[in-house]
Amino acid sequence: MKSAIVLASLLLAGCVAQPVKKDMSAFVAAAPRSILVVPVINKSLDVDAPNYVLATLPVPVAEKGYYVFPVNTTKYVLEQEGFYEGERVHQQPPSVLAKMFGADAVLYVIINRWDAQYALITTTVTVEFEYRLVNKDGAEIWAEQKKMVYQPQNNNSGGHPAAQLIAVLVNAAITRAAPNYMPLTQMANRDVFILGVNAIPDGPYRSKEKK
Amino acid sequence: MRSSLLIVFLLLGLTGCAQTGLYKWGGYEQGLYSSYKDPTKIEGLRTALESHIKEMETTNQKVAPGLYAELGTLYLQSGLSEKAIAMYTKERDTWPESKGLMTAMIKNLERRLQAKQEVAK
Repeated sequence: MKSAIVLASLLLAGCVAQPVKKDMSAFVAAAPRSILVVPVINKSLDVDAPNYVLATLPVPVAEKGYYVFPVNTTKYVLEQEGFYEGERVHQQPPSVLAKMFGADAVLYVIINRWDAQYALITTTVTVEFEYRLVNKDGAEIWAEQKKMVYQPQNNNSGGHPAAQLIAVLVNAAITRAAPNYMPLTQMANRDVFILGVNAIPDGPYRSKEKK
Repeated sequence: MRSSLLIVFLLLGLTGCAQTGLYKWGGYEQGLYSSYKDPTKIEGLRTALESHIKEMETTNQKVAPGLYAELGTLYLQSGLSEKAIAMYTKERDTWPESKGLMTAMIKNLERRLQAKQEVAK
């Protein structure tokens, strides 16, 4: 019996997040059912980054239990209205956007970093995002930021030094040709929306499923 | 007694942290990424969504939020307004939260179609 309790508490401890938790009362009070994900603001130098990030957002938010407005359709509708840049969309009052689409809340994402730093033989890939959810009345109900860094593991133990150097160079070349931003971006989103200490509460479609 | 309690606790522990997937996405995220990366891949996204939706419908599974509408918009961008309207209607009927937007888009497209027909007369 005792062992069962110990085991259970161990299991529970594995799921319980660290104590520093932000106040979610504004979010809970707003209780949004639907979330409009608008085009992303880019502060990095990679002009393609905002579209790539946009593509990664609907799945984690919908899996959390919210209706997510189709991001590509949203982007198309906004373009038809003359909003081609994330900056211009973010400048609109959230209440106007929410009303235009019939959304309960609007999700704004800013890319602060999306870069690869090349040293002589290793490459470090970094992404950093700011996330902000605003209620249809314009009040912020949740905000989070996330930075992810990826550095290929270079195994330096054993083996012929020349062979090792070649392996490292090949590794750097691959990363240089196509830095691996997408898995990092997906991990950041998962952390922020699903796994993290301050992940958004479960939406109506997920809480219904639990019962 | 002891082992049954243990199992209950184990189950509680597991359901407490495991988040099972609510939907099947049929490669939507990857397809969208590819089409942003290389616009010639947009055709691939369209066929992927078409076959995924068909599979979901024939097996009576709920299509994930937004997928009908995304396919509708791809039709719209290729000038296939009737097909777009059909998809927007399905999105609206599946997801009540989309009703306002979908109804506005459907009405807009119907008006455009009507205007076109009147010009043709």
